[in-house]
Amino acid sequence: MKNTIKQVFHSPKFVGGFVIFVAILLTMIIYPLFNPGNPLQQVSVGTFARPGTYVSLYDATKATSNTLRLPDADEKRVAASLSAEDRVAMVEYFTTMGIDISELDTEDTDALLQMWDDNYDPSVRPKGMTSAKVNYYKRLNTSLQDLKSGDTLVIAEEVDGELVESKKITTTDYVRTGAVANVKTLPLGTDNFGRDVLKELVSATGTSILIGLIAGVVATLIGLTFGLLAGYVGGFLDDFIMFITNIFTVIPGFVLLILITYSIGQEQRGAAVVATVIGLTGWTWTARSVRSQVISLRNRDHVNLSKLSGHSLIRIILTDILPYIASYVVMAFILQVSSGILAEAQLSMLGLGPQTTKVPTLGLMMNWAMLYSAHTNGSWWAYFPVILVITLISFSLNLMNTGLDQVFNPTLRD
Amino acid sequence: MKKLIALALAVMMVLSLSVTAFAAEGDVVLPREETLYFAGQQWGAVNSWNPIGTNQNNSMAIAAGGGQRTIMYETLYMWNILDGKLYGLLANDDYAWNDDMTQLTFTIKDAAKWSDGTDVTAADVIRTFDIGVEIANGTGSTYGPYIESIEGEGKSVTINAKLNDAGQPVNPLKILDFLELTLIAQADWIDQVYEANDGDATAILNDDGLNDAGELEVPYTGPYTRYFDDDQKVIFIRDDNYWGQDESMWGKLPAPKYIAHAMYADNNAGDNALRNGEVDVSQQFTANVQDMWEKDGLPISTYYMDAPYGICVGLPTAWYNMNIPVIAEYPALRKAIAMAVDYDSINANAMTGQSPTFVQAPRSLMNPTDAEQAMYDHDAVADLQWVGNDVDGANALLDEAGLLDTDGDGFREYNGEKISLTAVCPNGWTDWMAAMVEVANAGAKIGIEITTPYPEADTFNAVFTDPDQTEYAIFMWSPDASTPANPWSRVNQFMGMDYVGVQNNWSGNWGQYVNEEADALLKQIPTTTDEATLKDLYTQLTEIYLTEVPSFTLMYRPAVFFTVNESVWTNYPYEGSTHTMADGTEVLVPPTDCTDGFGIAALYDLELVG
Repeated sequence: MKNTIKQVFHSPKFVGGFVIFVAILLTMIIYPLFNPGNPLQQVSVGTFARPGTYVSLYDATKATSNTLRLPDADEKRVAASLSAEDRVAMVEYFTTMGIDISELDTEDTDALLQMWDDNYDPSVRPKGMTSAKVNYYKRLNTSLQDLKSGDTLVIAEEVDGELVESKKITTTDYVRTGAVANVKTLPLGTDNFGRDVLKELVSATGTSILIGLIAGVVATLIGLTFGLLAGYVGGFLDDFIMFITNIFTVIPGFVLLILITYSIGQEQRGAAVVATVIGLTGWTWTARSVRSQVISLRNRDHVNLSKLSGHSLIRIILTDILPYIASYVVMAFILQVSSGILAEAQLSMLGLGPQTTKVPTLGLMMNWAMLYSAHTNGSWWAYFPVILVITLISFSLNLMNTGLDQVFNPTLRD
Repeated sequence: MKKLIALALAVMMVLSLSVTAFAAEGDVVLPREETLYFAGQQWGAVNSWNPIGTNQNNSMAIAAGGGQRTIMYETLYMWNILDGKLYGLLANDDYAWNDDMTQLTFTIKDAAKWSDGTDVTAADVIRTFDIGVEIANGTGSTYGPYIESIEGEGKSVTINAKLNDAGQPVNPLKILDFLELTLIAQADWIDQVYEANDGDATAILNDDGLNDAGELEVPYTGPYTRYFDDDQKVIFIRDDNYWGQDESMWGKLPAPKYIAHAMYADNNAGDNALRNGEVDVSQQFTANVQDMWEKDGLPISTYYMDAPYGICVGLPTAWYNMNIPVIAEYPALRKAIAMAVDYDSINANAMTGQSPTFVQAPRSLMNPTDAEQAMYDHDAVADLQWVGNDVDGANALLDEAGLLDTDGDGFREYNGEKISLTAVCPNGWTDWMAAMVEVANAGAKIGIEITTPYPEADTFNAVFTDPDQTEYAIFMWSPDASTPANPWSRVNQFMGMDYVGVQNNWSGNWGQYVNEEADALLKQIPTTTDEATLKDLYTQLTEIYLTEVPSFTLMYRPAVFFTVNESVWTNYPYEGSTHTMADGTEVLVPPTDCTDGFGIAALYDLELVG
């Protein structure tokens, strides 16, 4: 046993897969210690907040400020409100309105702003201009008004219905993030419900791995039992079990899975139930391959000896057959776990997964990201990390499987 | 040799495949500059062109959204959700009540003609109503209880209201609805269909309006007619002989020669087509619609430049099922759940900001338009209104009502068992699904277990229209948005007893709520014309509604969504835009997809870009 484990850990493929898998498991355990709380809690009002560090504006105005004179600060401020495209669009507007722009230098921000101020009239709707364009100029105008405002902002508080000045802020005032009472980093932003994606992802990974494990155990147990019985006992029992197995093989497993989960109804569909259903539909190939392995084993000498000694069926199977196919079963189990995780993701994508309000799973995260068009509106953080995690789990499990295969399968041994 | 044959076979296969592919694409090609493309209305092959039938899915030609859709068949009047007025379509702008509101008279436009060239007359209106009553189609079952008969000759029509025991009209408001929501069918054609089906009501209702060769048999009055339809698309072509180009109506033909609608697999597919400029007008809920122009700089716009982007007249509502004992017994429970729901999250996350908040339009029976908001006394009910997310208040209500968590499992009990409810809406209705999640979250905060199954739409429809169902405890559905009979009609749906116990109930009061007092108040409204009295009645009803909470509105929503791409066409309705009528008056054009009610005026004002 010790030797086998040593052998296994000498396989670079197995070790690679094992390290990735353990890293994922460790993240799952350690991350919640640093960021505790309910992963389903909605932290942001509004969908898909971008990843980044959020500084409380309220607290920032209260924090003590330092004066920094940075050479490119003004330039950046202008660029944030007025892009190169905006400048071109402004010139277009002047042309449409028939204004002489021969002396205008578009890089001269002050001159451009002055001209805009003199000529832009939000109430005029030039003939033939689309609503989209009209609206664009209105928005641009608003953002230009911000640019024009002076170097000082006044913060005022409302006291008895009157505004009382509490602070003045100038363009050179800076606040250290550490000095602000409330700063929240959302490394992967928020999803459509306003939940912290990273926190949800970590929790969902746990649930998905659990679903994979339950599905793997169920499928392997059923497949193993059927395979052992069919292969060893043979005869009518073999025919009967293979008949059932063949039926299950012919019906596309995923269709069966959809039908069963659908008929269960969502109230009953917890993570464990979904996992069991996945296991119940995925055992057939384990049964078939275990059976063929057992058939090649059952006429070996040591098995015949056991039979002659009058050992019971169960004892023969457990002591003379199972140990010889154990390595194969472990590999099959790993593949079952991996396909269980994928099956949950697929099911949830179709809206047949566990309930959204109960647990986060990788598939549910993808489902809601898709329902709220994260893929078309550029909110990559809502689905890409999920895909990456699914890929990594499945990759690491398959890598471990290949590593084991190389160790145990004589035809593949170096 | 073998290789040569194999190669020849392969080449032949590729060729034949590409030929069929081209042939399939080549059958209907529309010039882009003459076609207005839609999305979000038609989701499957059109099954019927019969304006007096039922089980229609012909969303472009025979459906109502923000008023009746009139591109092919027409109504007598067009409803304008912006100014709450009726504008003449087939009829002149001369409808008038007699003094006791028992008779309504109007005349049909002299110019109004059927596609076969014959005049539209009073006989067509009469026959449309009569056949409706006889075969119990939508027109018959909706207006039969309110209209006694329709009379008339030539171009003048009189509608006689049904009277109650006191000799008053049952509901004159519903007769105004008839004017704008009933598509008029030709009397001669109705007779033909009647004979062809031997007067069998079911057969007439299911007649698809096509002859054996699949050609359209139904005469129409509208500016467009069927050009092509299959399971991929439906196309309408302009009828250049349309009567409406007469000076008494539009004075010209609508701008697009074709109106086309492809069947998209889902909202995402439709949104992508809109982004790419393959769709001009989209009636789809698009999450974060502003990203299309703010982030991606696409030439896409909505009616309002800023949130809520559209005119929200709909009130998607969560209904409590009174067949569930704990719900029926405890108004406190109903109110507590409603108070604990985080409506800001629903607005910001489910609707992505495309709804006025409950601070902007406080909770009542009214939609957020100024006209309806003025119809009740805001101060009188201010103490009863809630803005949501009030977990402490909700918990206090439940504690006071005696619904306590005695066994410490985190859930409150009723008769010794934990209260476990369902909050249900159809699968795939994204914003509703997300709203139901918020209701479930609210339940979790106040110790009520709420689960959120999403059945398929067919299942959902069958269950929630069943007056005896106990499967759904809380379920979502929208009452009427905007018609001449509103807000009365909507309030009646919230609390009216007419619908209690009705089988296959599509009409209202889906939660089976019974309140005699509210019902009595409701019965007074249709015949009340004094505005102060009306306001008082609506205020009393609002008080009852907010105290008893038989249902609670989750968000405000447009009757139809309206997002346009201006790559090809422009001059769509925008905030404050008007249509110049034949007599020179300017009328606000509602953003009802250029097809519904008075919104169809937009089709006459469209221009090509550049």
